[in-house]
Amino acid sequence: MIYQLSVPAAVPGVEEIRILEWHGETGASFEPGDLIVELETHKAIVEVRAGQKGTLRAILAEPGDWKAIGLRLALFSDDAGEALPAVDAEAGDLLVEFDVT
Amino acid sequence: MLDDKAMTTRMFFREAVARAVREEMKRDDKVFVLGQDVGSFGGSYREFDGLFKEFGPQRVRDTPVAEAASVGIAAGAAAAGFRPLVVITYMDFLMIGFDALINYAAKLRYKTAGGLTAPMVVKTTAGAQGQGVAHSQCIEAWLMSVPGLTVVAPSTPADAYGLMKTALRSDGPVVFVDHKKLFPAPGDVPIAEVATPFGEAAIRREGADVTITCHSYMVRIALDAATNLEKEGISCEVIDLRSLAPLDLNTIAASVERTGRLLTLEEGQTTCGVGVEVASQVFEKIGYRPWTRVGALRAPVSSNPVLEAACVPNAARVEEAVRHLLGK
Repeated sequence: MIYQLSVPAAVPGVEEIRILEWHGETGASFEPGDLIVELETHKAIVEVRAGQKGTLRAILAEPGDWKAIGLRLALFSDDAGEALPAVDAEAGDLLVEFDVT
Repeated sequence: MLDDKAMTTRMFFREAVARAVREEMKRDDKVFVLGQDVGSFGGSYREFDGLFKEFGPQRVRDTPVAEAASVGIAAGAAAAGFRPLVVITYMDFLMIGFDALINYAAKLRYKTAGGLTAPMVVKTTAGAQGQGVAHSQCIEAWLMSVPGLTVVAPSTPADAYGLMKTALRSDGPVVFVDHKKLFPAPGDVPIAEVATPFGEAAIRREGADVTITCHSYMVRIALDAATNLEKEGISCEVIDLRSLAPLDLNTIAASVERTGRLLTLEEGQTTCGVGVEVASQVFEKIGYRPWTRVGALRAPVSSNPVLEAACVPNAARVEEAVRHLLGK
């Protein structure tokens, strides 16, 4: 199954975030708790960690890019070999946890 | 022509402030910062991130909770030749520093026939965001009437950057008023080190039926209202004042002559408010036009979110006031 990682509303009042750093390339697999990406808000840095096992398949925003809350950042799949749909195809949300530093 | 987009970079409001302060501190070693949490904490809103590490505790000075002393020290240091930036986290508590700011800093040039001046900047954050009656006030209007005091209010990161640079280079004293709700929205800031001049408003949206003047966070409210009103066929011109003292009377008056109607919008009280001053100056210049003022209701802003939302202006209230002004 294909999942989307979208910008979490991790900090109250946040409207847009800046992508800081991806901690994996396309093809990388993540276990629950693994750090996927760091996002910068007006207040703090949000570490987005995997809440489920999955493989990163498509990165849709590069470090330095800006994205509003709720917009899609990346696509994941359960299996590395799954066929990848168009980047704007419907997808459920990837389970994530986040730490605010 | 060079592509405008390539000449800007997007950043948070707090980063724009930090950038301006850093540039001016590098340029002039007389500039220093003092206030609560400005040092290793990086600023209450993180608007001085990195400065403590770069410039050290002599130039980025944490103060205790002592606004009268902090503003007083800034006024004295400024008179002695420094260029202090004193930071008052909540504009409500700038009241405690009024004596040093108004009776000393603002009057110093007059009292000494120009022999002494007070090139100091007070940066302070106004506005309601759930923190109750003594942490929500917008009292810019109280300061506009003080001879010798400059009052500016950016609504975008670009103007936070530009106005702070101008403030730190000016003869002072200057009060730079930002707003709690301005910090989340990033904006494009020129890559070149360009300052925003005082006394210049910015037309954020052109329109034909009414001129809406506003500043700080209310600019967003005015623009939201204008977008909604366009669907009803009403065209609003939105002017971001940016500079409250001095006001850019020429830009505002020219706009009201074109549109024929004025709505003055502020988050603070309308009684003796920013809007009354804008309207008075415009009508002195071009004659009376239909005018209405929108601001906080006549009550302190509660920490109760329902009461707070009812008290401060929102787009719906502005839209209703515009319709009323247009007789609809």
